[in-house]
Amino acid sequence: MTATARIAATAALCAFAAPALAQEITINSFGGAYEEAHRKCVIEPFKTETGAKVNIVTAYSADAFAQLRAQKNAPQFDVIHFSGGQEIVAAAEGLLAPVTPALVPALADLYDFAKAGVARGEGPAYQITAIGLVYAADKVPGAPTRWADLLKPEFADHLVLTNITNGYGMVGLLMLNQIAGGTTDNIQPGLDSVRKLLDAGAVMVSTSPEIQAEFAQNDAWIAPYASDYAYTLKKAGLNVKFVQGAEGTPASFITANLVAGRSNVELASKFIGKELSPEAQACFSDALRYTPTNAKTVLTKEVAADVVYGADATKGLMRFDPRVIEAKRSTWTEAFAKAISR
Amino acid sequence: MTDRRETWLLLSPGLVLLVVAFLLPIARMLVLSVQGPDGTTLVHFNRFFQDAYYPLVLWRTVYLSAIITLICMVIGFPLAYIMARSTPRIRLWLVIMVILPLMTSVVVRTFGWMVLLGRSGLIASSLRDLGLAGRSFQLMQTETAITLGMVQVLLPFMVLSLLGVLVRLDPRLEEAARTMGCSFLQTLRTVVLPLAAPGLLAGSILVFTLSASSFVTPSLLGGARIEMLAGSIYKNVTQTLDWNFAAAQAVILFAGIAALLIPYLKLGARPHG
Repeated sequence: MTATARIAATAALCAFAAPALAQEITINSFGGAYEEAHRKCVIEPFKTETGAKVNIVTAYSADAFAQLRAQKNAPQFDVIHFSGGQEIVAAAEGLLAPVTPALVPALADLYDFAKAGVARGEGPAYQITAIGLVYAADKVPGAPTRWADLLKPEFADHLVLTNITNGYGMVGLLMLNQIAGGTTDNIQPGLDSVRKLLDAGAVMVSTSPEIQAEFAQNDAWIAPYASDYAYTLKKAGLNVKFVQGAEGTPASFITANLVAGRSNVELASKFIGKELSPEAQACFSDALRYTPTNAKTVLTKEVAADVVYGADATKGLMRFDPRVIEAKRSTWTEAFAKAISR
Repeated sequence: MTDRRETWLLLSPGLVLLVVAFLLPIARMLVLSVQGPDGTTLVHFNRFFQDAYYPLVLWRTVYLSAIITLICMVIGFPLAYIMARSTPRIRLWLVIMVILPLMTSVVVRTFGWMVLLGRSGLIASSLRDLGLAGRSFQLMQTETAITLGMVQVLLPFMVLSLLGVLVRLDPRLEEAARTMGCSFLQTLRTVVLPLAAPGLLAGSILVFTLSASSFVTPSLLGGARIEMLAGSIYKNVTQTLDWNFAAAQAVILFAGIAALLIPYLKLGARPHG
């Protein structure tokens, strides 16, 4: 073969390869045990079924949202996951595209509250987790039952609080604020409460794996956190239980959202459909004890016992207005940093 | 080709890289720091000084860096001296030992510190067994932890800067001082130290600037409650997306370091004209 013919043949082969190169999507995941379950329940099966490549960026919701805003003119994500209600603000800013029933038939099987804002662009919730009290059952003198128990002096040295850069930490602060008499307009009671707890000996962490380290190595007894992590700690061999606080149980809706302005809408929609499928939801509930949102999901009795399951149980969950949180996040982050600094 | 043209051609790749990758981004950052919704403004700098919090962060960054530099000098000088006066084989092994911490990933190394310094780590439990510490004592999330972690990683810079200078010192100068009646320590103070001053200067500048601008180790070891300026800049860039304020903080950090280093450089340069 002459050189020209060889080059022409290579070019022709590359032309065939080009469509295959387009078969990739970029998503975000939350790292640690969550990302492992994400890979096992959704990403690997999706890759086998479609042959597409999935690029995973590890970023908590607040960071991912900041990135999405910064990338407004040239978005890099195809599917973006949020756990703190950021999808409401993102949709209002035009950063998300509505998920359509035509491309995602599984939408029809979701509970109504999980798909309330889909027409506006807010992605459907594919998991729900409850925020309550995670405690070491073998170490606490008496099992806690209310959020106010966090303020008990016997827990002072063994309390773990989470920075509000983490979605669950933000909800924890707002609950502490609520029981101290504050509202979302004024979080000063919550900040004072946190300051008092830190001065009494509580530890502040920023990420989920640090909570595990605190319970495993640093004699932590109690932390306001989510039910999914309580299960992760149990699986790691720690005698840890989760209880919903009597004053109220905020829910975190984990949503899958389609990013606007990207070209592979079909593939991204297929990915979201996979996350909404009963098999993936049952897999996630089994791995991390999340509440499924697809009404057709079937959980084993053992898993169902640990999970807030079914349309009725989920009605009792509360939610802080994500729009308010998003609008004030910047000021709150700075105020929080000042309140906790030594 | 003339000599001059040749010089310029050889320099140009490096110059282009310097301009594109360094000067342009720095200029952009300077513009960002004074940019406001209605044009040039100093509001971001004002925000830095409006209460005690950020100046405290700046002060903490500066004095921790100074302490780290001092500790590195105190540990590094004797170590470099011994390395310079030993046989080449032993010197090689000592160099490997000093550089070894740098060969592991910074995150792995820092997590090692987290285990060692935690409540049930070696140091805390030993102190508790000796009765010297309370039940919930831990070194994690303290400034001590930051200092320990940073000294471990920055000591090689100090030692190797000093080694380069000390190795070239003529041993006969020390021998001459000894024959004239100086004790060993006096020789170190009056002969070796002044001659090693350029190495000390270079090493301490390296250690100071590196510790003032690092944020991975201080964030992991100091925790959420102890903030250094580089960590605050990172938070403003990636989490609150407040780029103007982050740029202002970066300019202030640079000004703070320059304000300390320029007199230090002048002081050190004097005896050597």
